[in-house]
Amino acid sequence: MLSFSFPLAFIIFLPFILIVEAGHDLYDGNVPAKASESSHTNNWAVLVCASRYWFNYRHMANALGMYRTVKRLGIPDSNIILMLADDAACNSRNHFPGCVFANRGHALDLYGENIEVDYRGYEVTVQNFLRLLTGRVEPDVPRSKRLLTDDRSNIFVYMTGHGGDEFLKFQDSEEISAFDLADAFEQMWQKKRYNEIFFMIDTCQANTMYSKFYSPNILATGSSRIRENSYSYENDDDVGVSVIDSYTHFVLEYLEGINKTSTTSMKDLFDKYDPEIIRSHPGVRSDLFHRPLEQTLITDFFGGVAHAEVMDTDFMHDSSPLVPTSQVDSIIKDEHSLTEVLSNPTDGTGDHQVRLLRAWGSVGVIGLLVALAILNTKR
Amino acid sequence: MMRSPPICLFLIGAMMMGTGKAVKATAEEEEFREELTLRPLPDGKVAAHFSFSTLLRGAVPRAPSSLGTDDTSQHYSIFPLALGQILREHAIPEFHLTINSGKWDYDRWGHPGEPGVGSGAELWAWMGDGVQRETSIDERWKALQNSLSGLFCASLGQMHTLHTTSPARAFPPTGDLPRLPAPHKHSLRHATLPAERVCTENLTPFLKLLPCPARAGIAALLEPHKVFDANWHGLGVHVRWRAGAGVELVLSVQAVLDPVRISVERRRDWSLRSLFDRSIPRSCNIATSSVVRVMLPSASEGGSYTLSPEPWLSTEDSIASYDLTNGTSELDIAMTWPEEQRFSYPLDLSPLSDLSVRRTLKGSSQTHGELSVVIRNNQPVTVRTHYLETMPWHVEFFLHTLGVSCGDGTKCDYLFTNMAYTPSQPHNKPALLQATIELPPHETVHLSLRVHKAFLRYQEHRPDAQRGWDLPPAVFVPVDAPFRRIYTSALLVDLATPDFSMPYNVIIMSSTLIALVFGSLFNMLIRRFVVVNLDDEVSTSTQ
Repeated sequence: MLSFSFPLAFIIFLPFILIVEAGHDLYDGNVPAKASESSHTNNWAVLVCASRYWFNYRHMANALGMYRTVKRLGIPDSNIILMLADDAACNSRNHFPGCVFANRGHALDLYGENIEVDYRGYEVTVQNFLRLLTGRVEPDVPRSKRLLTDDRSNIFVYMTGHGGDEFLKFQDSEEISAFDLADAFEQMWQKKRYNEIFFMIDTCQANTMYSKFYSPNILATGSSRIRENSYSYENDDDVGVSVIDSYTHFVLEYLEGINKTSTTSMKDLFDKYDPEIIRSHPGVRSDLFHRPLEQTLITDFFGGVAHAEVMDTDFMHDSSPLVPTSQVDSIIKDEHSLTEVLSNPTDGTGDHQVRLLRAWGSVGVIGLLVALAILNTKR
Repeated sequence: MMRSPPICLFLIGAMMMGTGKAVKATAEEEEFREELTLRPLPDGKVAAHFSFSTLLRGAVPRAPSSLGTDDTSQHYSIFPLALGQILREHAIPEFHLTINSGKWDYDRWGHPGEPGVGSGAELWAWMGDGVQRETSIDERWKALQNSLSGLFCASLGQMHTLHTTSPARAFPPTGDLPRLPAPHKHSLRHATLPAERVCTENLTPFLKLLPCPARAGIAALLEPHKVFDANWHGLGVHVRWRAGAGVELVLSVQAVLDPVRISVERRRDWSLRSLFDRSIPRSCNIATSSVVRVMLPSASEGGSYTLSPEPWLSTEDSIASYDLTNGTSELDIAMTWPEEQRFSYPLDLSPLSDLSVRRTLKGSSQTHGELSVVIRNNQPVTVRTHYLETMPWHVEFFLHTLGVSCGDGTKCDYLFTNMAYTPSQPHNKPALLQATIELPPHETVHLSLRVHKAFLRYQEHRPDAQRGWDLPPAVFVPVDAPFRRIYTSALLVDLATPDFSMPYNVIIMSSTLIALVFGSLFNMLIRRFVVVNLDDEVSTSTQ
């Protein structure tokens, strides 16, 4: 028994030593962060449907379509603030209880079985929306109703409803103006509440809503020009109303082809804009945005995939308690950086190659030891 | 993630070895029971009552006096931490939250398994006095509303003072309340939001509080599309403390489903699969007991039916029980009426409840109306019942017009006793009318009360002002059976609404008038009118 325990202990402890070694080396593969890459470490989404009443079903569907997409691309419910001004799913006029459809033929139920609406009904007001953005909420307000962002947060803000020249109506009784929104974003910038904002709006004369922005790092896009309407896409005869807006339908359809590791850029999306299909002229405002659009990934805003910030090995040993939590996130980092490194041997230095080889080698050794251990115990 | 599997395996293994013991030790202090009661109703519908109860053995609610200090750390294995934190944070020994949609028909469906079936959201809590101002009952009540609204995705945060009352007689604590040092005592806070709706976003966080959410046990049946298609549906969260036992949490879902509507042949046959689109896949291993009960209809109302599979436990008191506690096989209960070709709706439905109540708001005027309540005692004995009416301030009672008459039209004010009335505070607090009514056997009593409808300030109107305001249901609580509460239907009152474009009209009109009147007057006063001789000027300039 005693003679058995030493190799056993060795087998148990050696992998841990090797893991530490291998882990360091493997994670070093993630280091290169180009200037054009986003430096965010977390993603948030604020999705607002500002319209009440059943006939505005399509606005609910717009916001829910975006909700489904950002959730599919990896932003968790805790980082999504969904505001729905009316209850379309359990409305007594809804022939399909608990369902919201965004297309004719009811192929996809956007409401599903797992949804968290943070602000609903009468709670969707201009005041609550601005308080949410600026963080000036009462102390009692629960976590799920707060935008707990920091200066490393990329925020996707989507708004839909009925609007006009420099305003968007909330609940058909009050309005938010382009100036209010611009000031709220400026306040957020001053309070270090965001790294970058991607603002998207689908309403009539939508492009006027972002015309007043003056804070840095905001990329904005809208569905229609000044004095131009945004139209709905299609009606469903069983639901009885229009089910989605044309612009949002177009964007959602494009995003359906995107997955978590996609390298599609914002420019690709904007280049696809076709006024003929959308039936209005979508606009883009990128003068406040410092990164080139062709290097701004769609997943920087729609995905919950954070880029890890990895520090030097020496530094990590010196101050291990200070290792940022982003270290943990690096495990779920998109895989393309690793595959890039592996597939381009000329790209990396020789030293890097050796370290990588060593890392994989140690993983192999661990595997071998595990196999050995299993064989031993079976015998 | 090619690189991670060996690493992960080791880490998970190590973690499991470390935590396995701790989980087992605490599981004995917590107990989870689940129960589903299905009740076929004479009108062809099926009432389903899901009840998930978790008992935290030996736990004692936090004393309000300890609110300023650090709390003991919380560790639960079954009891939901999110709810436990709320209870400790605000020192709540007992609270009840229900969110329902639809009107419970007492006459046809009888008394529900869980009494809180009023339309919309209802929240009531018993709380002990705090010491400081920041920990006063009202502050904690507000904080409780906000916490629960965040947890269950409901708009409970709107239940501010406008909706809060303290009707202690109608809502006695269902458990025990811990003893408090001398001057302090417990008091009740109660609020309703009759327009609140319940939907998937409420069920999602609700299911997340269960130890076996939607995977195993009877919670697997809670498919939102089917539950929210029901004629009546509601969620309930009940927390109480039972001295000697511990803190008990009961999560309940009730629904009245209509198999006749779903069936193509208009039959009332039902099965778990037809009602919920699912069967119970396997039992929830964490549950100490997991039972499905079917209340069998009596021979007179039920006809001849068959129930499959055969009840696993003995059938007693016309209840068929299925114990799932250790079952691993799938269970799908079905009840069929083989001799019935088509369900014929019974025409003579005798009321199944002790009392039948009908409440309406009469009158078409936008300033005055009349509240009318008709109560019928369905029992052969005299019944004494508390009557509770909570009215938002925008409907004011004229108490002197209160009239009580019996079935034959004679005045019988003597039946209406023990009345307490708290008038409303305009723009702030609701009115509360409490009384005791004595109902002779098989007697019908009419109550009528004239009301005044308030004129709201422009800013106080809801975005959909034309829809009217929902008034909370009245509550009848039998004195002998305080937990068989009866809720009346909620009402909708039509208040005078302004033309919301009026302010703009006024601004435009007055601006025009100012421009016209003031402008011309100002012109007349300031301008100096002189005669200029052009010929002279021309001649001088040419010179």
